[in-house]
Amino acid sequence: MSGVLVSGATTPVSRALIEALLAEGRTVLAVAVEERWPFEPHDRLHYHQVDLTRDRCIRELLFGPARELGLTAIIHSAHHRRTSDSGRKIRALNVESTRCLVQLAERHPTIERFIYRSYADVYRISPELPQLIGEDHPLELGSWLPQVLRDRVEADLTVCTAMGMGSLSIAVLRCAEVCASNSGSQLHDYLQSRVCLRPLGYDPMLDVLSIEDLVHALQLALASDAQGIFNIGGRDVLPLSAAIGAAGKREVAVPGPALGPLYRLRSLTRGSEFNYGSNRFRFHFSGVLDGRRAREVLGYVPEHPIDWPVPTYVRD
Amino acid sequence: MIAPPTLPRALARLLLPRDVDRRLRRISFRDAGHGYDRLGMHPDWVRMAVGLFNGAYANYFRVESHGIENVPAEGPAILVANHSGMLPIDAIMLNVDVVQKTFPPRVPRMVLDVFVPKLPFVSSFFARAGAVSGARGTVRRLLEEGELLGVFPEGTPGISKPFSERYQLKPFRVGHAELAIRHRAPIVPVAIIGAEEQFVQLKSVDLHPFGAPFMPLPASPFPLPVRYRIHYGPPISLHERYPQEAADDPAACRAAADEVQAVVQALVDRGVEEREAVFW
Repeated sequence: MSGVLVSGATTPVSRALIEALLAEGRTVLAVAVEERWPFEPHDRLHYHQVDLTRDRCIRELLFGPARELGLTAIIHSAHHRRTSDSGRKIRALNVESTRCLVQLAERHPTIERFIYRSYADVYRISPELPQLIGEDHPLELGSWLPQVLRDRVEADLTVCTAMGMGSLSIAVLRCAEVCASNSGSQLHDYLQSRVCLRPLGYDPMLDVLSIEDLVHALQLALASDAQGIFNIGGRDVLPLSAAIGAAGKREVAVPGPALGPLYRLRSLTRGSEFNYGSNRFRFHFSGVLDGRRAREVLGYVPEHPIDWPVPTYVRD
Repeated sequence: MIAPPTLPRALARLLLPRDVDRRLRRISFRDAGHGYDRLGMHPDWVRMAVGLFNGAYANYFRVESHGIENVPAEGPAILVANHSGMLPIDAIMLNVDVVQKTFPPRVPRMVLDVFVPKLPFVSSFFARAGAVSGARGTVRRLLEEGELLGVFPEGTPGISKPFSERYQLKPFRVGHAELAIRHRAPIVPVAIIGAEEQFVQLKSVDLHPFGAPFMPLPASPFPLPVRYRIHYGPPISLHERYPQEAADDPAACRAAADEVQAVVQALVDRGVEEREAVFW
């Protein structure tokens, strides 16, 4: 079985992915910023501490251990997760590292496949646009977005631009939100408070993806040689109110304009990561991924619902 | 949540006759995981909506319909109806009629103007009851999944036209014809008689709350108790005469839409001619 490089390896998603890849019999080169692999070792698992914000480190990784191990694929899912952070270093991780990985993979002697885990956040949600989001749906390029979300759009487009430019086979998986801790999930942060405020008079449909389904989608993309963009929806498509209820929280409907100041205040006083500004459209209007292309081309069908109330993944 | 989950079920049971309620439990839909479909429709909400409007349907507007057998029992299809009456009561009556008279009950996905999702409460209620916004991508996917659409190709000009122009159809938009040709879906022409007289519009005020296209000023605060008559015509199979590529031909789509308009207009004319009185 061919080997795979997995970036952002210590997140809950990548950790589950690595376990699945090892179970398939693959060799895995896991990379993250942590000094040591914090989980169970495995004889086919190789861990490297890499600072992906530095081009030189990426070059040394790809043309060093990755070449020695004869890896044939990269699954790139290293992103900065805190939406409140900004700056050059964060952009370097989110966008420049992605660009560098794609460029170097193009001329790498053994790597043939590049899978980029993107986000449904890149799509624009608006009442005038379809509620079922296809891969050709308009992207959200608003300047009002936090940097981390703008970076996601730019990184996604960076990978898409490289499609068909060389021999590297590229798949971009635009995944619904994984509602789990330590995964950059805004919905997870939102559902952490005992009382969840939501816009009065609106109850949009949300699409939530389980880690199991995301891992399965990445495995299918790895096994396939199909190029292109694929929407990866979840088994949990439900109204915002139902998500609050399923998480065992109490909801209070508040006029929309009051929610921004209230959540800013909460963020200041409680240190919450939830940013209402970047969620205000999807908290008013539905946006559900249409996963038909992933179903037809990759054979992906979401099968694992979330284990509500929202699971918390603690690093052991 | 616009209501606790048990409320729609309890209200439906309270408002609907027992046999109707039992029949409507057979509503089929694609559960996306939590009892809702991907667009937010919930069968309990559909039943509650039918229950809420059943009084108006059966006792106030005393709707009578003819030709429901023309609505296909399954597969993609588009109901194309005339639109009038200042408020979309005609759409609601058509919806209730189709849900009640088809078996197993089919929920027509009424295609709403794109400003409706901006309306608080109304947007959520309509979504739960099965209506969808008029964005092309959404309706296209619904047809691909074999759903029944309800379309009013006159749009706002139809619903806001003055009383003096009643039962004279405004020019049809072409979207329904394009969809029918592209997705090989039959069009069921529908004439709704009675809605034109439910409100007499004094004036259309130039106000646009939540992006609404107009603000009507009616002569009466409530709709008049006109009798509704709904006529379903035989399906028009545009797809048998137009190849799929014609969906990208503006002239072909225009011709197909004009053809559908002529059929609906003829159905409307016949319905108006056949009725003996407006109110009974």
